[in-house]
Amino acid sequence: MSGDFTEIGRALPRKEDRRLVSGRGRYLDDLAFPGALHVSFVRSPHAHARILDIDSAEAAEMPGVVGIFTGRDLDQMTTRLRLAPPIEGLQPTELTTLPIDKVRFHGDPVVCVVATDRYLAEDAAECVSVEYDQLPAVTSITEAFAPDAALVDDSLTSNMVSHQSLCVGDPAARRAEAHRVVEARFSLHRHTHVPLETRGCVADWDDGRAHLNMHIGNQVPHPLRSQLAARLGLSESQVTVMSPDVGGAFGQKIALYREELTVAALSRHLRRPVRWREDRMENLMSAAHAREYECRTRASVSETGRILGLELEIDEDFGGYCFYPANYMARVIALIMTGPYRIQDYAYEVRVALTNKCGAGPMRAPMAITSWVMEGTIDAIARDLGLDPVEVRRINALGPEDLPYKMPTGELLEDVSPRETLEIAVDVIDVAAFRARQAQARAEGRYLGLGLCTVIESTTYGSEFYKSAGIPGSGHESAWVRIEPSGAVNASVGLMGTGQGYESPLSQAVAEGLGVRSEDVTVHMGNTDIAPYGMGSRGGRGATAGGGTLYLCALKARERVLAIAASMLDLNDAGGLRMRAGQIERMIGDDWQGTGLALVDIARRAYLDPLALPEGIAPGLDFSHSYDPPAMTYSNSTHACEVEVDPQTGAITIDRYLVAEDSGTVLNPIVVRGQQQGAIAMGLSGALLEQVIYDGTGQNLSATLADYLVASPNELPKFEILHHNTPNRRTPAGIKGMAEGGVMGAIGVLANAVSDALAPRGVTIERLPLTPQSIRALLREAAPSSTKRTQP
Amino acid sequence: MTAPTHDPLTLSLSVNGETHDVRVPARKLLSDVLRDDLGLTGTHVGCEHGVCGACTVLIDGRPARACLTFAAQMEGHEVTTVEATGRPDALSALQQALHEEHGLQCGFCTPGIVVTFEHYLRENPDPTAEEVRDVLSGNLCRCTGYQNIVAAVLKAAARMRGEAA
Ligand code: FES
Ligand code: FES
Repeated sequence: MSGDFTEIGRALPRKEDRRLVSGRGRYLDDLAFPGALHVSFVRSPHAHARILDIDSAEAAEMPGVVGIFTGRDLDQMTTRLRLAPPIEGLQPTELTTLPIDKVRFHGDPVVCVVATDRYLAEDAAECVSVEYDQLPAVTSITEAFAPDAALVDDSLTSNMVSHQSLCVGDPAARRAEAHRVVEARFSLHRHTHVPLETRGCVADWDDGRAHLNMHIGNQVPHPLRSQLAARLGLSESQVTVMSPDVGGAFGQKIALYREELTVAALSRHLRRPVRWREDRMENLMSAAHAREYECRTRASVSETGRILGLELEIDEDFGGYCFYPANYMARVIALIMTGPYRIQDYAYEVRVALTNKCGAGPMRAPMAITSWVMEGTIDAIARDLGLDPVEVRRINALGPEDLPYKMPTGELLEDVSPRETLEIAVDVIDVAAFRARQAQARAEGRYLGLGLCTVIESTTYGSEFYKSAGIPGSGHESAWVRIEPSGAVNASVGLMGTGQGYESPLSQAVAEGLGVRSEDVTVHMGNTDIAPYGMGSRGGRGATAGGGTLYLCALKARERVLAIAASMLDLNDAGGLRMRAGQIERMIGDDWQGTGLALVDIARRAYLDPLALPEGIAPGLDFSHSYDPPAMTYSNSTHACEVEVDPQTGAITIDRYLVAEDSGTVLNPIVVRGQQQGAIAMGLSGALLEQVIYDGTGQNLSATLADYLVASPNELPKFEILHHNTPNRRTPAGIKGMAEGGVMGAIGVLANAVSDALAPRGVTIERLPLTPQSIRALLREAAPSSTKRTQP
Repeated sequence: MTAPTHDPLTLSLSVNGETHDVRVPARKLLSDVLRDDLGLTGTHVGCEHGVCGACTVLIDGRPARACLTFAAQMEGHEVTTVEATGRPDALSALQQALHEEHGLQCGFCTPGIVVTFEHYLRENPDPTAEEVRDVLSGNLCRCTGYQNIVAAVLKAAARMRGEAA
C-alpha cells in the first residue's frame, strides 16, 4: 500500500526550520503591539486560605499603573466555567475567572495588575496586600479522602470529585481458580510540561468593530475561540484566535486558562491591547501539572504465567481546580490498560481527588502510566512464578491470529503488532547475551538490568469515542484545499502545531492526494478566520485526523482537476489521466506520458475562462472536506533498555535503548523519528529527574529549573529506532498517528530495567522518579543491616 | 509614599557590529533591551534565571546569558546575537546541519544553541560526541531529546573542517 506513494513517506526536511534556526521565527513575544499594556498577577502564597481583604490603594498610585482588578471585578466581565458533562460518578464543578472567596493552591492568581510596562506591573504587584485566613491544606490523595478532610471545593460533598468502576467477565471467579494471585503497586509522581516558551497572550480588542483579536500559542484554536466567546458573552464571529510560532506545549496549551481570559476581558474593558507573558516560576507553579497517580493491580495467573483475570485500582491527585472533567485522563488509562495482552476478565475502579495543588491536565501521553503498570505487572508475575519475563509476555501477547481484538472495555484493536514488535526488540537487544553479561557483572558486584515494555498507544479519538465516553464533542477534522489562478496550492486544517513540524508532513498529505510536489503546497494553520473549524492538536491525532482529512480533500481536488484536463484534451473522461508533480499525464499503452498540460493551465481555465469548463463544473478550484476517524486508532511499540545502577551513589546509567515501532503509514519519516526521540526523552527525563514537590503545608518547592530538573544530553542515551510499520486499513492512506507512545514506553522500560538490576538486592521499583537519593533509600530499606558500613 | 522612579539611562550599545543609542532603565535586562528596544527577537527568554540557555549571546566573543546581564553593563563591550549568524535564505554551516539532521522542533531553544556552538566550533573544530553533549548540557531542549542536535553539530564541524559530511 505505502509503496504506491510518491509524496507520503518522503524524508523531506521541515519547512519551518529556516526561519526558526536563524532566529526569525515569530513567537508571541516577538509580535509588537504599540501601546500595549502589560499585566502581572498577584498569586497566593498559601495552599488553602480565605481571602479576607485586598488592599491595592498603594499599588494603584504607582508609576505606570493603569488598573488593578480582583476576582470580583472579573466576575462582572466574564461568565463562570461550569463543567457538568453527564458522566456518572462525576461531580459538577464551577469556577470563577479569578478566585473571589478563597484560594486553593500556592500560586493561585488573586489580583491582576495592569501597567504600561512589565517591570512597573511587577513593582505594583509587590505592593498589593492581600489578607488571608489560612485553612488546613490537603496535600495528598490519602488526606483528600480522609473522613474529616477539609473541602478543597466548598460546593462539593467530598474531595472525591470523580469515581467510576467497571467489571467485565468474572475476575473474582478467575481469582478463585488461579494458581497464584500476584499484586503490584505503582506510584507515579507529579510532573509538569515545561514548554521552553511559557504561556502568554496578547488580547487586542478592536473597539470600532467590537472584535477581539486574541494572539496566543495554543494547540486548539477553534475550541479556544468557542470558550473565549462564551465566557466573554461574545458571538464566535466577534473573536479571532491567532496562534503564532509556539515554543512547545505538550498538552499545556489546550485549556483556556484563567489568566488568559482575564487578559482578554481587560483588553475589552480598557479598550487597549493587553499582553501577558508568564515567568518560569509561574509556569512551574501555576500553569498545569500532570501524572500524579497511585495504581494497584491484582493479576490472577496460571502456572505458566497466563493472565486469567486482572483487577486495577487507580487514584489520581487532580489538584485544586478542574479545567477538564476530572475523569478525563484516568479513564483512558483504565480503558486501555490490558493493551497488548489477551485478557477478558477485567475490573477497574478509578477515584479522583481534589487537593490543594495546581490543577492537573493532559501532558504528552496523559495515559503514560498505563504501560508501566501493565508491564510492571507482567514482571511481577514472572518474579513471583520464577519464570522468564520474556516468556510471560509471549504467552499473553496478542498475535496476528487474535486480531481484530476487542479489549474487555470494548476498545477495538486492529492492524497492530505487539507480538511482532516484542520479538524484534528481544532479538535485536539479544536478551540471551545480556543475561550472560549480567551474570558475569553480578559476580563482580555490579548491577546490570534489562527492561522491556510493550506499548499500545491510543492516538486518534473519533466522535464515536466521545459519544461512548459521555463527553459532548467531536473527533472530526476539517480541511480546505484551494488551487489559486496561478496554480499555487494553499490548504488549511484546524490543527495547530506547537513545534512538531506539521508544515512538511501535511504538505505531503495534500501533495499526495492532489498530484503535486510537497514543496509547492503551503498549509495555513492557527488562524480561526482562515482555518476551518477543527478540533486542533491533542493526543496523536495530527497525522490521521489532520493529514487524513487533507489527503481526502486533495483527492477531491484532483478529481476536479483531472475532469477539466480531460475536457481540455477532448477525452470523454479522466480515466486514463493522472497528475504528477503538477503535470498532467496520460496512460498510453503501458506508459504514462506527458500531455503538455500542467496544473497552471487547468487553474487558468477554471478562473479566467470558466465558460469553457465542461458542463456542470463550477468556476474556481476551491474544495473543502470533513472527516471523522474511527472511534480510536492505535499504534504500538516495544521498548528495551539496559541499565547499570551504581549501588554506592544510586546513579543510573542507560547503556542501551531501543524501540521497535509500528506507527502505520508515515507521512514524513524525519518528523516521526524526531517525535519518537522527543517522546522517549520526555519519558526518561520524568522517570529519572523531574518532580513537582509540595511540602506538607502545600508549599511548592520546585518553582525554578534548578529545582524542577529536566534531562540534559548527559542523562539521555542514544536511541535506536526499528521500524515495523503496518498500515491501518480503516484510515486514509493507512495513517495511525503517534508521538506519545515513547513517553509511555520510556517510563515503564526504565522502571523495569532498574528492578531487574536490583533484584539481587531485593529491590522492586514501585515509585518514581528514580533519583540517586531514592535508589539509595531503597537499597538501605531493602537490606538495612548487611549494607551498613562498619567503622574500622 | 513616593514610588521608586526609574530614570532612564542613555546607553550606547554595540550589537552585531552596529552602534545603537537607547534610553532604558538601569535595571533593564540585556535580553529585554535586545528584544524590545532593538527588535532583535531571535534571543529568547525561557527562564530568566540562567538555567535554560535560550537567551545565550556572545559578549566580546564569549557565550553569556543575556537574562543575567543588565544592558547598562554592556557599554564598551561587543554583543553578538543569533541574527548575526546566517539568514533564512543563507544558513550557516551549523544552521544548515541542524535543518538537515532535524536538530530542532519548536525552535525556541535553537538560537541559544546556534550561538553556543558557532563559538565552540571555532575554538574546537574537531569535537567528539561526548564533548558536544557536555557543552550542550548548558542548553535545555524540551522537544528533541538532543540526539539530532549532537549529530548536527558533528556534521557541521566536519564540513567546516572541509571534510565531506
Ligand atoms: S532565559 Fe536566560 S538562561 Fe534561561
Ligand atoms: S526544539 Fe523545542 S525546546 Fe528545543
